[in-house]
Amino acid sequence: MTETREPLLKVSDLVVTFGMGRHQVAAVAGVSFEIYEGETLGLVGESGCGKSTTGKALMRIVEPSSGTIELDGTDVIAQKGKALRNIRTRMQMIFQDPISSLNPRRRIKDIVAEPLDCWKSVTGDERDVLISDLLTKVGIDPKVYGNRYARQFSGGQCQRISIARSLAMRPKLLICDEMVSALDVSVQAQILNLLEDLKHEYGLTLLFIAHDLAVVKNVSDRVAVMYLGRICEIGPADTLYEAPAHPYTKFLLGAALEADPDSPVHGEVLGGEPPSPLNPPSGCRFRTRCPFATEKCVEIEPQLEEVAPGHHVACHYPLTISKK
Amino acid sequence: MSVEQEKLLVVKDLATTFHTAGGDLPAVGGVSFDMERNQTIGIVGESGSGKTVLSRTIMGLQQRTNVTVTGSVLLSGFEMVGASEDDKRKRWGTEVAMIFQDPMTSLNPVMKVGKQIDETLRVRLGMSKVDAKARAIELLELVGIPSPQYRYDAYPGQLSGGMRQRVVIAIALACSPQLLLADEPTTGLDVTIQAQILNLLEELKERLEMSVVLVTHDLGVVATRTSRIIVMYAGRIVEIGSTREVFAGHRMPYTRALLESSPKVSNASHTRLTTIPGRPPNLLKLTDGCSFAPRCSYATDKCRVERPELQAADEPGHMFACWNPLPKTRRTVRK
Repeated sequence: MTETREPLLKVSDLVVTFGMGRHQVAAVAGVSFEIYEGETLGLVGESGCGKSTTGKALMRIVEPSSGTIELDGTDVIAQKGKALRNIRTRMQMIFQDPISSLNPRRRIKDIVAEPLDCWKSVTGDERDVLISDLLTKVGIDPKVYGNRYARQFSGGQCQRISIARSLAMRPKLLICDEMVSALDVSVQAQILNLLEDLKHEYGLTLLFIAHDLAVVKNVSDRVAVMYLGRICEIGPADTLYEAPAHPYTKFLLGAALEADPDSPVHGEVLGGEPPSPLNPPSGCRFRTRCPFATEKCVEIEPQLEEVAPGHHVACHYPLTISKK
Repeated sequence: MSVEQEKLLVVKDLATTFHTAGGDLPAVGGVSFDMERNQTIGIVGESGSGKTVLSRTIMGLQQRTNVTVTGSVLLSGFEMVGASEDDKRKRWGTEVAMIFQDPMTSLNPVMKVGKQIDETLRVRLGMSKVDAKARAIELLELVGIPSPQYRYDAYPGQLSGGMRQRVVIAIALACSPQLLLADEPTTGLDVTIQAQILNLLEELKERLEMSVVLVTHDLGVVATRTSRIIVMYAGRIVEIGSTREVFAGHRMPYTRALLESSPKVSNASHTRLTTIPGRPPNLLKLTDGCSFAPRCSYATDKCRVERPELQAADEPGHMFACWNPLPKTRRTVRK
């Protein structure tokens, strides 16, 4: 995946802090990654690791404290006012709770049309054609349902409407923040397949944020694992799951439950809980829970290093393939 | 009758109907199963399938004016349906206890967690204040809370989600119940914490010789932790059997659809998922036929007009409700 292609999105040293003084928390503490055109990058981690904050910082829904974000060669952080609104049409976000992200008292065709109306980019006739087309694409019949209110739809259908809305401006990058975690498995499968189809049809690039490892693997070309505000491992989805090099990734995969009675009952369960990001451990952030931690891990923070082509790990003692 | 008394739990034709403004809503529509001692049984289904209402009805928590419960729940020979509040209260805690989904809201936020454990011990077992405190600290230790003496005085808000769920488990176990009903005990928790809690439940089940009903929507949770599985759809059991049999030799198309639509870590990325078209039926508008028929690719005219009853499969204890079951061949779950 890491050819000489120019990345669509390039993030370096992104830091997002909340609060001030003694209560300052670095929710995202120096994150760098790239997403190439047409690929899906999965971002996994446990709650509080900063994965959603990263997604929001890319859209500048929360303001990054430092670092750079480049979308297609444009510096996102430097933009202001109209230019910022303009750049946001090129990246759209889909949120976790499909029901609360739609206004219950509006008709769905107006919800989907809102981006177009804001930008006044199309004429009335074109608008109607576009909306019907978008709703049809996401599997909602515009003739029957277009005039209904958002409150009349189920969670899965609301998520379809959210997808249609996010595609209205023909974005290049779609940021999906836990978009299927509130849905039942049968509906989840429908939405994941739909997303895959639309990705090809609209030539989308995706940042897929989720906590469910199986879901992330299903949609992603590459996967980044976050722990306490930092990326600890990033690599091609299949190799990362097959041979995790960071101990945290290995434990995370070990804790994922496979719907198979013959799957080995995981022997090693990761003890403890993530430390408070108010007071992160010195050195490696995972060292307090890591069974392999040594003095070196306390003193020196490991940086992302390449262990295999395109596979980077931030660990002083990466697990070798044989140890998986 | 004597055989049934030996069983821990015998549920027969249990139906819970809510009387709503829109009509009668059969949340649980005639469920029968039984359960041996020292067994873990899983109840799986999507939201709205009636799994939570079923577990609450077994516990005897659904007795308001707008609800009708019919059928029978025999808990160690005692009939819970229609029993007086006093009789049921005597059994809550000591015979049957329940863990709820959300550890954030099932504890009193302005009461120390130790006091919340004490309460059960003092009311139910009549322990003195000092004894109850000592036992509460023991229980906190049992569920794996570090420095229990110190945590006894903590408020729920000072604990993380995983710790709070451990406290909830400690409260449920305070009077050593025979049966523990766990309704989505790990749904709001992270995977590493989920693994800790599930291991804890399994370990406590062995140690305290109790039985566990694990209610969940997550097939991964029940796959390796239960001996039997009940699959529910639209308020009814559509398949029941040993865990291995339900996963590998299921006959009901819904069970297969449920298994195939969940993404698996062992599959390569971009594996196309099998989907079930449509969505679960509106319980207010159930037809006489099989509730799954509108979404089922095997459905025939018979399925739409006549509801299939549970019928026995080859393996003892394995039953399914379907007119056009999947063939008997054993399917491999993986690879």
